[in-house]
Amino acid sequence: MNFQGMLKMEIKDLSDNTGEWLRGTGKESDIVISSRVRLARNIAGFPFLSRANLKQRREIESLLRKTIIERKIAQDVSYVNLNQATAIDKLFLVERHLISKEHAEGEGERGVAFGKSETVSLMINEEDHLRIQVIRSGFELKKTWDTIDEIDNILGESLNFAFSSRFGFLTACPTNVGTGMRVSVMLHLPALGMTKHIEKVFNAVGKLGLVVRGLYGEGTKVSGDLYQISNQFALGKSEKEILSIIESVIPRITSYERMARKALVMESKDQLEDRIWRSYGMLKAARMITSEEILQLLSQVRMGVNIGLIDDIEMQTLNELFVLTLPAHLQKLEGCELDSAQRNVIRASYVRKRLDGL
Amino acid sequence: MKCESCNKKLATVHLTEIIENEKKERHFCEDCAQNVTNHFPKAPSPSDILTSLINQVSPEIREMSKTTCPVCGISYLEFRSQGRLGCPMDYNVFKKGLLPLIERMHGSSQHVGKVPANAGAEIVKKNELIQLRKELNEAVERENYEKAVELRDRIYELSGNVEDGD
Repeated sequence: MNFQGMLKMEIKDLSDNTGEWLRGTGKESDIVISSRVRLARNIAGFPFLSRANLKQRREIESLLRKTIIERKIAQDVSYVNLNQATAIDKLFLVERHLISKEHAEGEGERGVAFGKSETVSLMINEEDHLRIQVIRSGFELKKTWDTIDEIDNILGESLNFAFSSRFGFLTACPTNVGTGMRVSVMLHLPALGMTKHIEKVFNAVGKLGLVVRGLYGEGTKVSGDLYQISNQFALGKSEKEILSIIESVIPRITSYERMARKALVMESKDQLEDRIWRSYGMLKAARMITSEEILQLLSQVRMGVNIGLIDDIEMQTLNELFVLTLPAHLQKLEGCELDSAQRNVIRASYVRKRLDGL
Repeated sequence: MKCESCNKKLATVHLTEIIENEKKERHFCEDCAQNVTNHFPKAPSPSDILTSLINQVSPEIREMSKTTCPVCGISYLEFRSQGRLGCPMDYNVFKKGLLPLIERMHGSSQHVGKVPANAGAEIVKKNELIQLRKELNEAVERENYEKAVELRDRIYELSGNVEDGD
């Protein structure tokens, strides 16, 4: 299966839509954008990638690709060979959260398989031989875990994963060893950000061994008031225990955010409403919007919808705009390379079009 | 030229002393030079400084610094500088160094989570693998590389057949 052609042929289809995890459905979806679980796996009998030669890399890629396609891991699996993909295609996949930045920037034989709904993605030859990812809309950790657990079981029947009874699943970096699991919940916390209470959240989750990251994971900065809460430890606790720690923390953060929103409405209603309506006005009227600015505007309007101020935009549209207005998506949409000034114009006109329902 | 100290042996060590802007050449034989230079304050070498720093930060590195994985060839120091291990065997080879690191990262070093579907058969192989790895280490220590290659191939074979997938 070669997806290279498909990326070009169906560019409009893909670049105008997003994965199901941006639908804005699921529990607490006013605040929880998505629930994601990833598992790191390596194949026994091969060195980790930093020590694998070209031949071994190719063998790993081919073995995993064939197994994933044969075992029908998800519906209508597409496969992209990243070694042959263009820079824009790779960025496009990063923006859709189908691959990581490291995977895009890597070298040698590597690829990604993903299902049609983009709920499931399997990165081959990222930092580990295999990274399985399942991402769902809203606060749906249980469902997300069930899906990934099943995929891991199916693959585990065909593949021999590097495993030790002492250390669990063996990974290239000892930070992932054990369950190889990282759970990340993406939260939209504009009120906690505005009132600076977000620092307290950071401190509290830090004490539980959890960590707060930006929109695109490790080392990325926070923008659009979007935060990812994830576990740092992967060993010494079972998958279920790790899930339940995060499961118990998230509702506290979401209720804290709701309290902060209420307080803002009570104490500075005029300023808050002005800010939200101005943002809405900008999105509907501006002729140039930078990638930084759009995140702030979308964040404000999203909160406006959540507190019942704005009622003529679908949550799904707002969620999707966070991704569809990113640089590679805009370039895919236009079908050509654009510099940042050109992108700012296209971004503004695309948003106007989407908000006017044209 | 004879040594200015003992006046017997040939001077082979030539020192330049600068005291209050006055330069003075001094010439000693090897034995006398030893005595003279011992009185100089000795500056630590860069490698001394590095070692003492490493000892402060990660005491296990000193002990592990000479360990190299016989399977993938990565040394413990390479792992520490890159942060990535070279192969699954490293968890055994570098166990002593890794344990405190893993404890610090995860607050534990015993896996209690999921076991892969085919681990039943694996556990049977495990004992043999542990034995083979021990033999491999011994072979490497004895510098019997022919035997080591043989053992390494056997380990690879047992821990997952490379040809399995195709």
